[in-house]
Amino acid sequence: MSTSPEFLLDARVVLDRGDLHLDVELQVHHGEVVAVMGPNGAGKTTLLNALLGWLPLQSGWVLVDGETFEAPGEGIVTATHRRGLGMVFQDGLLFPHLKVAGNIEFGAAPNADLASLIETLEVSNLLEKYPSELSAGQIQRVALARTLAADPKMVLLDEPLAALDIAGRSRARELIGTALSENLSGALLVTHDPADAFALAQRVLVLENGRVAQFDSPSAIQSEPKSRWIADLMGWNIFRGAGRGSSVVMPNGTEIATAGLQTDGEVSVMINPVAVALFPERPVGSPRNSWLCRVRGVQFLGDIARVSLSGPLTIYADITSSAAAELALKEGTEIWVTVKATEVHTDAHSNGD
Amino acid sequence: MRAQPPVRIRVIAFGALLFICAPLVSLLWRVPWSRLVDLLTREVVTDALLLSLITSLAAALAALALGVPLALYLTRMNGFSASLIRAVVVLPMILPPVVGGAALLFAFGRNGLVGSAVSDLTGLVLPYTLTGVIVANTFVALPFVILTVEGALRASDSRFELAAATLGANESRVTFRVVLPMVRPALIAGGFLGWARALGEFGATITFAGNIQGKTQTLPLAVFVALETDRDAALAMSVVLISVSLLILVSLRDRWWPVR
Repeated sequence: MSTSPEFLLDARVVLDRGDLHLDVELQVHHGEVVAVMGPNGAGKTTLLNALLGWLPLQSGWVLVDGETFEAPGEGIVTATHRRGLGMVFQDGLLFPHLKVAGNIEFGAAPNADLASLIETLEVSNLLEKYPSELSAGQIQRVALARTLAADPKMVLLDEPLAALDIAGRSRARELIGTALSENLSGALLVTHDPADAFALAQRVLVLENGRVAQFDSPSAIQSEPKSRWIADLMGWNIFRGAGRGSSVVMPNGTEIATAGLQTDGEVSVMINPVAVALFPERPVGSPRNSWLCRVRGVQFLGDIARVSLSGPLTIYADITSSAAAELALKEGTEIWVTVKATEVHTDAHSNGD
Repeated sequence: MRAQPPVRIRVIAFGALLFICAPLVSLLWRVPWSRLVDLLTREVVTDALLLSLITSLAAALAALALGVPLALYLTRMNGFSASLIRAVVVLPMILPPVVGGAALLFAFGRNGLVGSAVSDLTGLVLPYTLTGVIVANTFVALPFVILTVEGALRASDSRFELAAATLGANESRVTFRVVLPMVRPALIAGGFLGWARALGEFGATITFAGNIQGKTQTLPLAVFVALETDRDAALAMSVVLISVSLLILVSLRDRWWPVR
């Protein structure tokens, strides 16, 4: 157990809740925003509630800035209101009986600079309104202002943008980013949207089935997803098969070579669509992962063309729109599909969903 | 939009309405309206009016003061013990008021379990006093406050308490600044329903506090006595009681039963 104040948050949360067995260890550096992602029921909200002291730990520890808030082994439990941890809820949870101003002032620290918070979060024209008169985006901005006004040591955000429409999202994301960087010593942001995680967080913790599946930088999560769930979220191609030597054999017999897997069990194979190359002729040197497929459709998304292919593998390839034009791809076109073995990622432990 | 019920159901429904309205209309029919002011200003009546007003309001406030903490406590309880406590708490609501009054005598009477100790210590005697009327009224009003407030507390989202705690609010601040203000409509409704119940209380009052004009004779007791001696005065006082009760129920209609 570490007591080093080099971390803003140092926690290991172990608890059972219903079918969920949560066992998560994480550290957050000073000034760092960590995103928590994971499928429904993975334990994201439970983790936040445990850090807040709303759910008791079975074992583990919660240290904030070197101060122990909870350590069942030593009989230490600090009440929620003494932890100085702020929380922004998915639905804002503004007090319905108080106006916006009353909400923001509810827990305001004596030294809080409310005026600048109100300006940063663009809520000055809402102060005299009741929460029932606000839009979802306004509610979240007020909720963040209310939380930051209390001058928390750290802020936890539970899907703060989930209730917003697309138009409101990007603006709210921008405002939250500004507010977090101006006011904050660190934050934990639960989200299901990779855009939120990658825009706001320095590191991403992927939680699956109550355990840490991956804890890494956004770019590493994108380029090296360690679990089927996160790969799926990134729009990767996912296949399931049986490990055989360094290859994985699909149920239809197609074999995908990897760079070094050695397992005999069930394996998920994850391939970034960007790593899927298309050739009109059989590629020279015939790399191991090359299959003759047929184009099912092409979808143009700006500069990117997403090509849907079927054959030995049903797979997506993301190529540039100009390359797609050059290959004259249309439905039914036969084309060679190749993937380097080093671009084939595997997740031998995932049980899928 | 719901479908209209079949004709025979509508006939029975109309009959039920008639059954409820007939006594009320008949009573109002017999009221000597031209002499109403004169009747209501007689000493027996003004005494009873004033006494009823004081005791019922005091009982409503006492029921709120006692009932809200118990409701807060019950909201946090679950399982068999909570069901048991709730049953005991609601008992005065369905208990024949005379039995309630007798029970009050055995508890707070001069020789009662609690009453004897209290009178030994303080010299305070409850039966046949104004305070006794308030005690009896509080006893019957309490369940209305508890049920109304607990229902609202259970329906409110407990995450607001977590939100308040993350803003540094301790238990008492959470309770007084968040939990109770959020159920304010229920506090008001519970208070008014308790008041209406206290205002109409008869059995427990007469058993525990007696029927002394100007001291413990509330409006319902005065009506009962006047029915034998001065029917017109009884009718006039009944008009007052009906009006107040109706006014309370109509103004609370959204709280007591859902409209729409």
